Amino acid sequence: MPATQTDARLEALRKAPLDSWVVLSEDESAILAVGSTYDEAVKNSERAGVSDPVLIKTPKHWLPFSV
Amino acid sequence: MSVKLPYKKFPDGKGGFDSFAVVPVNIARPEPHSPRSKRFEAIIDSGACRCTFHSSIGAAVGLDIEKGKEDATIGVSGKPTKIWLHDISLYTPGGIIAIQAAFAHDLPVAGILGMSGFFGHFRITFDPTAQRCELERIYQA
Repeated sequence: MPATQTDARLEALRKAPLDSWVVLSEDESAILAVGSTYDEAVKNSERAGVSDPVLIKTPKHWLPFSV
Repeated sequence: MSVKLPYKKFPDGKGGFDSFAVVPVNIARPEPHSPRSKRFEAIIDSGACRCTFHSSIGAAVGLDIEKGKEDATIGVSGKPTKIWLHDISLYTPGGIIAIQAAFAHDLPVAGILGMSGFFGHFRITFDPTAQRCELERIYQA
């Protein structure tokens, strides 16, 4: 994946609300749908016309993961 | 056949980023023709004992989360987290795997693919020079 694409993903995630579920565009440069729950994000992605979303859960804080 | 997955970047909260091996997966109840979840990003984590998913994904595919076998897990904080175990089908880029997975209400990510249930089914290569992970499915007799 080109660096510019991964950097666009990074910027999109930085703008995404915390403790939420987000759906990014296919090139991962933009947020297409958001929800405070998985179900809400799925509904919002359907409303946005995304037929096959990939959901990402954002944490309460962006910190290095040790889960 | 192997699947090559580029590392994905996540903010580190300090203006930088961390890179992880991430796989888009779906889950479903184990019964034939059970509806699948939407795809979600799960982190490949050799430090995790088992596969753990956010409880809301399990509920969305029809699992009664708290009717599963109750157990607990412990992370670096040292605090135990309550989990519930369920048999599921895990849909990965390498095929479908029948596993017992844990579900937690307060997981900070959508899913974690750990030793039991994931690493036993793949030869996994982490390649820091190419910034990617390669999965090769293992079929054991």
